[in-house]
This record gives sequence, C-alpha cells and structure tokens, in this order.
Amino acid sequence: MKYASQKVAYWFFATCMLLLGLQIVYGFIMAFAHAGFDVLHAVIPFHVARATHNNLLVVWLLCGFMGAAYFIIPEEADRELMWPTLAYVQLGALVAVGVTAIAGFHVGWFEGRKFLEIPRPLDYLVVVDVLLFIANIGATMWYGRRVTTTSLVLFFGLFSAALLYLPGLIDTPNQTEDSYWRWWVVHLWVEGVWELILGGILSYLLLKLTGVDREVVEKWLYVIVGFTFLSGILGTGHHYYFIGTPRYWLWIGGVFGAIEPLAFLGMAIYAVAMARLGGRNHPNSVAVLWTVGCAIMSFVGAGFLGFAHTLPQVNLYTHGTLVTAMHGHLAFWGAYAMIVLGIITYAMPLMTGRKCYQAPSAALAFWTSNIGMIAMTLAFAVAGVTQVYLERRIGMDFVTVQKEIEVHFYGLILAAGLFASGVAMFIWNFVSYGLPVDALVGAEMEIEVEEVQVRMVRS
Amino acid sequence: MLSKSAARAFFLVGTAVCSLAFVGLTVDTFGRIPEQTHSAAITPEVARGKVLWEASNCMGCHTIFGEGAYYAPELTTVYERRGPDFIRAMLRDPEAMYPGQRRMQNYHFDDRQIEDLLAFLKWSGAVDLNGFPPKPTLMPVAVPVPGKDGAVATSIDRPQIFNQMCVACHALGGQGGALGPALDGVGMRRDAKYLHDWLTDPHAVKADARMPKLPLTPGQIDELVAFLSHLKTGGTP
Repeated sequence: MKYASQKVAYWFFATCMLLLGLQIVYGFIMAFAHAGFDVLHAVIPFHVARATHNNLLVVWLLCGFMGAAYFIIPEEADRELMWPTLAYVQLGALVAVGVTAIAGFHVGWFEGRKFLEIPRPLDYLVVVDVLLFIANIGATMWYGRRVTTTSLVLFFGLFSAALLYLPGLIDTPNQTEDSYWRWWVVHLWVEGVWELILGGILSYLLLKLTGVDREVVEKWLYVIVGFTFLSGILGTGHHYYFIGTPRYWLWIGGVFGAIEPLAFLGMAIYAVAMARLGGRNHPNSVAVLWTVGCAIMSFVGAGFLGFAHTLPQVNLYTHGTLVTAMHGHLAFWGAYAMIVLGIITYAMPLMTGRKCYQAPSAALAFWTSNIGMIAMTLAFAVAGVTQVYLERRIGMDFVTVQKEIEVHFYGLILAAGLFASGVAMFIWNFVSYGLPVDALVGAEMEIEVEEVQVRMVRS
Repeated sequence: MLSKSAARAFFLVGTAVCSLAFVGLTVDTFGRIPEQTHSAAITPEVARGKVLWEASNCMGCHTIFGEGAYYAPELTTVYERRGPDFIRAMLRDPEAMYPGQRRMQNYHFDDRQIEDLLAFLKWSGAVDLNGFPPKPTLMPVAVPVPGKDGAVATSIDRPQIFNQMCVACHALGGQGGALGPALDGVGMRRDAKYLHDWLTDPHAVKADARMPKLPLTPGQIDELVAFLSHLKTGGTP
C-alpha cells in the first residue's frame, strides 16, 4: 500500500468476512424452513431470519464499499486519508448500529419494510455514520493532489447512495406511496448508484491489474455508467407495475427495464476487453479472476436473469414468487458480493505482504463459491417456475404448492453447502493473510512489495 | 473515435434527462394515486393496521401487492378470498386454521389490533393494481360430474363461507386445498347430523381430528350442512 491510512480498509474487510459468514447461517435457517424443517421456529421464526439475512447482506456490502473507498481514494487522490481515526470510529459505530438492529430483530423490533427493516431511530444513526464516511473521503479528494474519474465515479456513487436513503424515511399511511418511495432506495441503489460504486471499483482494479491506459479505462467507464442511468432511472418503473400506480408504468418500466441488461453487458465486455488489451500477467491472478468474474456474473445474474422477468406480461405471473429470489441471489452475488471479494483479494497482499493468493484454496474458493451459487440459482429457478405454474396459472392453493416444491429446497441446501464451503475457503484465505504491515507503506505494486520484503530479510 | 469528454457528456446529459423525466412522472403519479388507491378510505384503523403490519414484519413471510417474502401466502386480496372470520381466527391463533402445517408466529394481538389489521387488508384488496394478482388462466373448469342415474350433481349454490373457509384445505371438483380430503360426494358418505356435529366441533366427534374447530355461526353451519348433504356425486363412497 502506498499510504499508511489505507490499512483502515483491512478492518472493514474483516467485518465483511464476519457478516458474510453470519448471513449464510441465516440463509440455511430459511432454506431448511422452506424444505419443511422449521426447527428453530420458537427461537428464530422465518421472518426474523429473513430480515437478518437481508440486512446482513446490505451492511456487509456497504462495509465492503467503504473499505474499498478507504483503500482506493488515498491512492487515487495521492495523499493520506484526511482523518484515519474517524474512519475507525465510523466503522465501530456502523458495527454497533448493525448489532443493535440484528439483536432487535430477534426480540421483535422492526420497521418491517422489505430491505429497510431496521427501525427508524437506527436509520438516523446510519445516515450520520454514512455522512461521516462521505466527509472523510470527500475531504481526502478535495485536498488531494489529483482528482481522477475513477475516484469521482466512486465518490458520487457513495454520495448518491447516502442521499437516496432519505426517501425511505418518508412516512405515509398509504401502502402504495410507501412502496413507491421504498423503491427509490432499493432500486435506485442496486440498479442505479451502486453500479457507480461497482464501476468505480472495477475500473480501479482493471487499471491496476491489466495496466491498460487510464484514459481508455475511464472513457469506457463513463459510457457504462451512462447506460446504467439511461436505463436504470426510468427502469424503476418495473417495480411500479402492480402496486397501485398508473398503468403507464407498464410501458415505461417494460421498455427501460428491458434495456437495463445493456449496462451489465457493457460492463462484462469492458472487463474482458481490458483484461485482453492489457496483456500484463499480473501475479495476483486470483484478483483478476474475481474482477473479470464479477463483470460476467453480474451480467448473468442482474442483467440476463433480471430481464427474464422484467417484462410486465411475464412479471404479472412471477411477481412475488420464488422467481424473484432466483434473480436476487445471483444478481447480488455477481454484481456486488464479487466486486467486494475482488477488491479484498487485490488489496490483501499489498497490505500484509503475504502472497496467500498462491495457495490452491484461493482459486478453489472462487470456483467453488461460484459453481455453488449457480446451482443455488438453478434450484430457486425450478422451485420458482413450478410455483408460478401451479399457483398462478393452474390456481392451486399456496400451501399445497409449497408442499409440492419442498423437494427443490433439498437441492438448494446441497448447492448452498457447496457455496458455503467456497466462502469458508475465502475466509480462511483472508485470515491466513494476517494483519497489515507498516513496513509496506510506499509500496504501490506487487513488485515493490517484494523489494520491501527483500530489504527486510537483509536487514 | 469516441473521446473521453464526449463519453462524459453522454453520461451527464443522459442522467440529467432521465432524472428530470422520472421526477416529472413521480409528480404525475402522486396526482393519480389518491383515486387509484381510494386514499379517502384510509381511515385511522387502516393507518394503524399498516403501522402494525410493519412493526410485526408481516412482509418477512407474506407478500402484499406482490412485495415481501415468499414463505406465506400473498395477502393483497385475502379479505375477499378468506373473509374476516377466517382472518380473525388466524390472527388470534396462527395454528387455528392450518394445524400441523407451516407455522406462523403467534403475535398475541388484542381485538383492536386484529380489527386494525383487518381494516388494512380490506383497504389493500380494493386498490386497483392493474390486474394483479392474475386470474389463473389455465385452471381446469369444474364440470358437474354425472351420477350413476345420469343426473348431474346438485346445482345448489356454494355458500360464501364454503368458498372462503372450506376450500382452504378441501377440494371440490378438483379445486381447493389438499390438506383435508376432497368433499366430492360427501353427502353420500355422511348424514346431516354427522356433518352438523362435525362442523360444530370436530374433536367432539373424533378426538384426534386434524381439522380445527372453525369460527362458524349456527346459521353458517346449517347452510354448510345443507350444501354438503347435496353433494351426492363424485368421489369415492
């Protein structure tokens, strides 16, 4: 790492690992309940597991984005982080809010709106915490020696994400209006500004890993985020088909939702093209794997599977079924989880001076978790399509249909076992890197890290 | 070849135009929502019901307007589908209606809370959702089955309570739940007195009955007994 303050990222990444592990545990609780083994009902009813699973995801991804920003921004701005101590305080506060929220779920403290389950007082604390984070990286960029497009895109992604949290706080007795604003947060995050964050991190990784000219990488970054907003903003309409809003949303959401995959397709082509163009054989090949893999899997999960049920005539039947869970899992994994795991894989050797990416478990973690997740997606797909056919087309009763599709959740559990073992290997690899080392400050590239190590051995 | 400044302009102009259009459409939508959702019908009970809906994290298992989780039934039109008595019984004791099946947490709601939730669900069912939930277009059409003597099954109308409560677990003419036995031909298998006793309290007839005691009025029981006694055809005696 070039600057000493970049190592705050380590603690954010470590938090990610912890929360990701916990998220998977809650996922298993739900999968077993769906398969007919709701053994923890008295302690952790399904809805508690569900809220915990979703919110852990949101918190660990945000944590990962913050860690990524703390690692990337000092280097891009060419100066130390403005207030490194504040970054630790801010992480501590975020973890405290997260723990309170999760503990609250288990004793029935909710504001049960899908994805925004954390109660109102904690919402305000999240806003304050994120503002501290924005101020820290904003000031670092402002007083930095240079402002790059990559850092600007990353910053505005994070800044807009904070801003877009606010519509979710609008209070209304009308469920339709409630849902309308909720999607300003959820959709405009994951199919809007989070893609800026994804694009920013991806562009940084491509710059570092492929050695392609900055001018070229950043030009195409603009084109891709341009497509994201061109389709994604009005694409919010695909959530406004059936919630009590005017019929014209079927047209707007249908048309713009249908072109949303183009942004993801662009991202996949971009990553593959840059990796080929660069031709540099970066020693951290596993980081390249995660980076290019992320771009491809986000197209498959978010782009292709999103398209599969975005058209209103399809969505009429799939809306509110397990088909959504099928798309959701691969989309979040491909687009957001993988980019966080990618930046972690890239940053760890630079912070710790170890080369654990050479261990066989590093590449194996990538393949196992991805094959596991694809298998999970297939299990959800079979369950979802069966549910749509039996319940929505044939008109069978909900409870009867759920019994029919229990068997597909056995498949899901098997696939999830594979996925979890991949993630476990990743976490093991993370742990084996150890803690950041101060002696590496000033070493920006792998080759410089090696020089530092040689000097250390000699002295 | 595309320059970086042209790429930036594409991003900025595209984003600005789409954002403006989105804000404009939002303003228009909020002008139309009151009519489409009958917002004048949002009484204090409905508003309290919504608060309770969120505080209980109902969306953690159910969907409303198709939004939520996929562990428990879609509830937008449940008021019409199951009727208030079924919902009341379910909210009072979640194991009242589907004993031994997928379980719901017991929230120990008081009577006022139950009425508030009912008001909320009644309001949600009246919102114009552009055709959601969809009608099951491939549903087999129930055809009256000819009896041994060639006569078709009774044409007596199904009581509303039958369509709301009984079909949750029992099928008739191939439609309905599969948790209990199908009711085709039940009038041949059971006499009116048995049906009356059974509907009054299944456990008084058979101690280990899987069917719960339903919240039925004496009038509803009579109506159901009359209907069920007429079901002489179909099924196995």
